[in-house]
Amino acid sequence: MNHLNEEELVDHYYGEDAAESRAETERHLETCPQCTEALRDLKCDLEEMKAGGDSQAFAFLESPAGVASYGRRVWAALASSLEPYAARKRAGLRLTLWQGLAYAAACAVLVACAFYAGRQWEHRQPPVVAHVAPHPAAKQPVVIVVLGDHLDRSERLLVELKHTDADNEEMAVPLRDEARTLLAANRICRQNAKNSDDPALTKALDRLDHLLAQLASQKDDLDSDTIERLQKEMNQGNLLFEVRVLRTRIPDRQASAGRSQGGTI
Amino acid sequence: MGENDHATVRAILAGDRDAYAALVMRHSATLFRVAYRITGNQADADDVVQEAFLRGYRKLEGFESRSNFGTWIYRIAVRCALDRIDGRKTNERSRVSEETDPEQQAVQVADEAAGPERLLLSAEIAAMQQMALRSLTPTERTAFVLRHMEDRSTEEIAAALGIAPNAAKQAVFRAVQKLRQRLANLRVRI
Repeated sequence: MNHLNEEELVDHYYGEDAAESRAETERHLETCPQCTEALRDLKCDLEEMKAGGDSQAFAFLESPAGVASYGRRVWAALASSLEPYAARKRAGLRLTLWQGLAYAAACAVLVACAFYAGRQWEHRQPPVVAHVAPHPAAKQPVVIVVLGDHLDRSERLLVELKHTDADNEEMAVPLRDEARTLLAANRICRQNAKNSDDPALTKALDRLDHLLAQLASQKDDLDSDTIERLQKEMNQGNLLFEVRVLRTRIPDRQASAGRSQGGTI
Repeated sequence: MGENDHATVRAILAGDRDAYAALVMRHSATLFRVAYRITGNQADADDVVQEAFLRGYRKLEGFESRSNFGTWIYRIAVRCALDRIDGRKTNERSRVSEETDPEQQAVQVADEAAGPERLLLSAEIAAMQQMALRSLTPTERTAFVLRHMEDRSTEEIAAALGIAPNAAKQAVFRAVQKLRQRLANLRVRI
């Protein structure tokens, strides 16, 4: 075994070395005078440190009376700075209660402020609807849609009227009923056409109105003469052709309106 | 003793502040010894004992009933003493470094190198040992005091200082090494 270094000697002195190495160290010390002397020097130094110094400082603690006296002195110095635990807890509880109330009050104030600010902001903001001026084109798609549908139905009615057998009264009655339905829609469309300054459409719808009014005013016994007369009237003015022309205009107008309004139609 | 301490702690936490007096009376001597050995003077030791009991009282709710009150308050005292010498060392360093008076510096140097005739007196030997102890770092000094004078195990030292056991062991070894080097002259003269 090599000589013991200082750390191993210190470990051995304090008994910090493991049991196995301790036995080995002791065997080595028995045979190695150099390490034995080193350990003796270490013990000498450390024992001097233990002996010298503090025995006088602790003289007053050697008797139980001295210990008690010192304890009383420490307690006398401390007692005034210690607050009883129960009181401390109550103080803590009070603090917590006050803190809770403060938080609740702060929250209430915050909500009230937010509500007031919201109300103020709402009052100062003009109604959203007032800002959105109705664009002329905006209404147009609605009219066009209705008009397109109306013209479709009117076209179908006119086609059926054109091909209706004047002697077949059973076919004439549904035409009259359809005419009554279309009449109201036609008047709305005509009014809109007039407002939108579209003379061709207004004129066509005027003529359609006249025809629909005659057809709608018929009683149940719709006779063949009346049907023929209406057919003649329709053909003379080329009303069917005119409705078809107007109907063909609708997709173009719808498309242009759709583009202008971002394709809402 | 331990069971008595636990009962006393329960009484204190229930609001009986004066019950703490019993714990103070029971443990103050032990705390004073370790505080004195670490700080090296009675005034600091007294302050450390009071501070330790004050901290202990304030942390008493965190004291676990399975622990030993004596060990618990002892560790607090060691930490207080360590803090005190740590702060003192800093103050001493700044005072010396800021010192500009040559006469004052000469006095300090003379105190460090005592003459051989003074070493013959046991009081002077103790003074040399104290001086050697002061030359250690606070951790080394505390570890050495706990190991060598208080006979505490490495694990107890580590727990008191809040360091790993191996670090505590190394601190003790470094302290022994430094002390022997500083006191080598003394050994030769004697």
